[in-house]
Amino acid sequence: MSPEENPSDLAPHRFQKRGFSYERAIKYFFASNAGLTIVILALIIIFLLKEGLGFFPGYQRELQVYRIAGLEFVDISRKNLTAHEQLTSVLNRAYYAEINGRCIKQMRRSQEASALFNAYTDQTGPTRDLVLNNSQAASSPNSEMLKNLKANYEQQKAKALASLTATPHLTQMERRDLIESVRSRAVNDTDDPLFVTTLAEEFTAAQHKQAEPLQALRSTIDSFSSAGSELSSLVSEMTESVIATKEKIQGADILEKDRKTLLAAASGAKDPVEREKLMTEARTSLADKPDVEGPIQLLLEHRPDCIKAHTALRDASTRIIGQLPSSLTQLEAARLLKAARHSWPFFIADLEKTPAAINAWKPDAPVPLTDSISSFLTGKDWVTGGEWQDFYGILPLAAGSLMISIVALVLAIPTGIGAAVYVNQFASPWEQSVVKPIIEFIQAIPSVVLGFIGILVFGTVLRDISLWDSLQWIPGFPLEERLNIFTAGCLLALMSIPTIFSLAEDAINNVPSAYAEASEALGASQVQTTFRVVIPAAFSGILAAVLLGFGRVIGETMVVLLVAGNRIKIPDFTAGLGTFFQPCHTLTGIIAQELGEVPMGSVHYRALFVVGILLFAVVLTINATAHRFVNKMKH
Amino acid sequence: MFNPENLIRKGLPKGHFKDLVVRFVLAGLTYVVVLIAALLFAKIIMDGAPVLFKAKAPFVDFEFLTAKNETLHVFDDAQGNRHQLPASRYNDYLAKYEGAPIFNEQTYSYSGGGIAGPIVGTALLTIGSMVLALFFGVAAAIYLSEYAKQSPFIHAIRLAILNLAGIPSIVFGLFGFSVFVLAVPVITPTPSDRSLLTIPLHINHYVMSFQGWNSSLMAGCATLACMILPVIITASEESLRAVPQGFRDASLAMGATRWQTIRKCVLPFSLPGILTSSLLAITRVAGETAPIMFTAAVAAKDDLPWQGLKSPFDILSSQVQALPYHIYTLAARIPSSEYTRRAQYGSVFVFLLLVASLSVGSMILRAKLRSKLKW
Repeated sequence: MSPEENPSDLAPHRFQKRGFSYERAIKYFFASNAGLTIVILALIIIFLLKEGLGFFPGYQRELQVYRIAGLEFVDISRKNLTAHEQLTSVLNRAYYAEINGRCIKQMRRSQEASALFNAYTDQTGPTRDLVLNNSQAASSPNSEMLKNLKANYEQQKAKALASLTATPHLTQMERRDLIESVRSRAVNDTDDPLFVTTLAEEFTAAQHKQAEPLQALRSTIDSFSSAGSELSSLVSEMTESVIATKEKIQGADILEKDRKTLLAAASGAKDPVEREKLMTEARTSLADKPDVEGPIQLLLEHRPDCIKAHTALRDASTRIIGQLPSSLTQLEAARLLKAARHSWPFFIADLEKTPAAINAWKPDAPVPLTDSISSFLTGKDWVTGGEWQDFYGILPLAAGSLMISIVALVLAIPTGIGAAVYVNQFASPWEQSVVKPIIEFIQAIPSVVLGFIGILVFGTVLRDISLWDSLQWIPGFPLEERLNIFTAGCLLALMSIPTIFSLAEDAINNVPSAYAEASEALGASQVQTTFRVVIPAAFSGILAAVLLGFGRVIGETMVVLLVAGNRIKIPDFTAGLGTFFQPCHTLTGIIAQELGEVPMGSVHYRALFVVGILLFAVVLTINATAHRFVNKMKH
Repeated sequence: MFNPENLIRKGLPKGHFKDLVVRFVLAGLTYVVVLIAALLFAKIIMDGAPVLFKAKAPFVDFEFLTAKNETLHVFDDAQGNRHQLPASRYNDYLAKYEGAPIFNEQTYSYSGGGIAGPIVGTALLTIGSMVLALFFGVAAAIYLSEYAKQSPFIHAIRLAILNLAGIPSIVFGLFGFSVFVLAVPVITPTPSDRSLLTIPLHINHYVMSFQGWNSSLMAGCATLACMILPVIITASEESLRAVPQGFRDASLAMGATRWQTIRKCVLPFSLPGILTSSLLAITRVAGETAPIMFTAAVAAKDDLPWQGLKSPFDILSSQVQALPYHIYTLAARIPSSEYTRRAQYGSVFVFLLLVASLSVGSMILRAKLRSKLKW
């Protein structure tokens, strides 16, 4: 309204009168609600950083104590000792794999027979115990009751006999005899059936027979195992003293912290009497600086012994590698031996470096803050709640997350994109209307339900399949662990297929139909059109779909928490493809598992928030890249 | 008969076989997914349906839905009969047959009784978080679609929505734990030790203390609402934009203000769309476990949320059981055996039934809406 019209003459319309400010207030109300999203995002970032950033100084102090108390010094030797133990165990496993592999027939027969018998006793055990207890305990047993119990036992027995496990390596005759002997057992018979013990004896005899030619290997392994005993006793001796020092330092740290709290309270107190009281309390609680010099000097006196033990171990190891056979006949044994031989030179090289490291170690070297950051990002151990020393290294968790994502994406990308191409390009309208809702409905399944299926059904089914004789050529079969990277990967693939499917289908759908029409007009077949024209045009959209699927897989918690096996260890990559059948732990899983149990404000608690920050950053980067691809497609 | 096609193509076109193979492989991939999904549902229905449904009238085992969750006791009596009783009935049994011998007793946590507690808890969490998320989300969407023009503020909001939508649920759990459980302000006469900041209010010693709401229904609802907010905003904005511009123009031309236009001419037409898509958001809220693990959920609770409270508002500050967390507990914390199957598969079946009916409902509603609202 312009001033020339002389507004004072016109009565203002009631909308105008009521409100410029009223309208504006409504607008600002809505704007503030929209701004809430920014506030939430900011709060997430601020609080993650607030809890997380305190981790690095705290961890720095822990590493400092680790050094001052001499734990680091002991760990130099302990690391080699652990490597020695692992090598010994690999050699032992190779030895037994060789023997058992050579008498595999006897082993299977014995195992199957005892499995059958054990399944039977598991089922009938409780009712049988009832019969036994009641016929012994009371001098004049209630005959009515005893009769009932016996009938119950017979019933249970019949049920158990009807559902016995399969025994593919026993002959029909043997199986029948075994079942017959089980059936005719007396109630109070506690011995194993004769056939089971015979088979076990046969197996032991076969083992002994096969062990004869391997005696040289056995004695080599034994001598290697005993070569580490000197170092072992030295390490355990030093361990005790350094742990005592560490406890002293930690105790002093806690007292110091309390004193600071008291001082802060004193300066805040208004009442002068109370302030004086708090000040005196603070002064009296001033901790004595713990004596670390003495124990460290004592520890350093062990240096020559340590070096001597290491040299001895090195000499023994160099000698023993020459005595090991070049290969073994059984597949698994040969693989283990090869792994041991492969890591042997590294072990010796480590041993050679150790004396220099022992001499160069100084208890008073500073621990800069960067050390705590780098040992978090590149640390190979996530050890918490132990007596020795807590380490917060992210690598085992990141490796687990990555391996699971690889399995999930390898399965989900071809399936998801293939299904999208089929549904969009080849399927009849009727097929489309059936398949699309079903696949999209998978998205609505809560992740905890998938995890439940994984833990109760899929893991067991997979392990049973892995026991099939015809599949033994697959590395990692038979499965050692029911819950592993592969199980988790399969379920996450199922979770990410709908994401990849619907986004890829959208991308293909958004390709202008003129492209396909032009291609068909030139005489291309439908398959040619799809793969040469439509998919290249939709490529960046499909890539975005894959990235968003990846973001979903990395950030998923419940499935991996339930199904990944939760072993905090970098997977053993020497197993080749069998690596995918090992259990692992993940970035998301560790937060869900440990946050509820740690004391608030502790270094461990803060470490979990740093993992959260890392996860946040990774997922946001993936999503941002994906959205860049989507925008590229739009233009 | 003359067929011009014959002039061009004789027999099968070149590469026909290859085409068939490619189609076959792609169809195979598609149907493998469908088959796996079908197997999964079949397994859950086969094992879960017998828990909930019975052969006799009234066909539904209401006890499983309405009884509290308890520890299951399995034992034999002197006659060799096997009993499976939840803790309360087990105590009744002991009182009734005092002195009668009991053999082979085993207990299974969380496996007896029904799942009333988890169902009610999930319902409360869902309702609470949806109320919050719909209020703030729809308001934000109104701003974005009705008021906003290109500006750095709008750009920042869109970026924030995009980023919020991508954050993993466990990070929302961390966020909810550090903000709603440990840091938000409460008004109380006795601030806790861990309070970040206390502001005296000078009314009866009451202070505003930034000490958080503890693990409670409130904290869980707030966390879930934050998580679902971007979904609600995006869906609501879409349905607001679907209302034709002409409606607004006509209303404004009649002299109505913006707010009147929104209230009378835009919201009523977009409300069905908003509600339909929020049904889908409900399935997500009801199904999430990670955000409520540390903010609201508890594995075992004797009372239903409204029992044993001093004032009705205490329900907000009490912990609740939740169906997804209950399933997690049943799957991870207790050894599986034939006696726990009823609780395990029954809970999963009920949960899946709930989620499935919500999402099928939203699909049907959306289809109806599309055919009805055509401008």
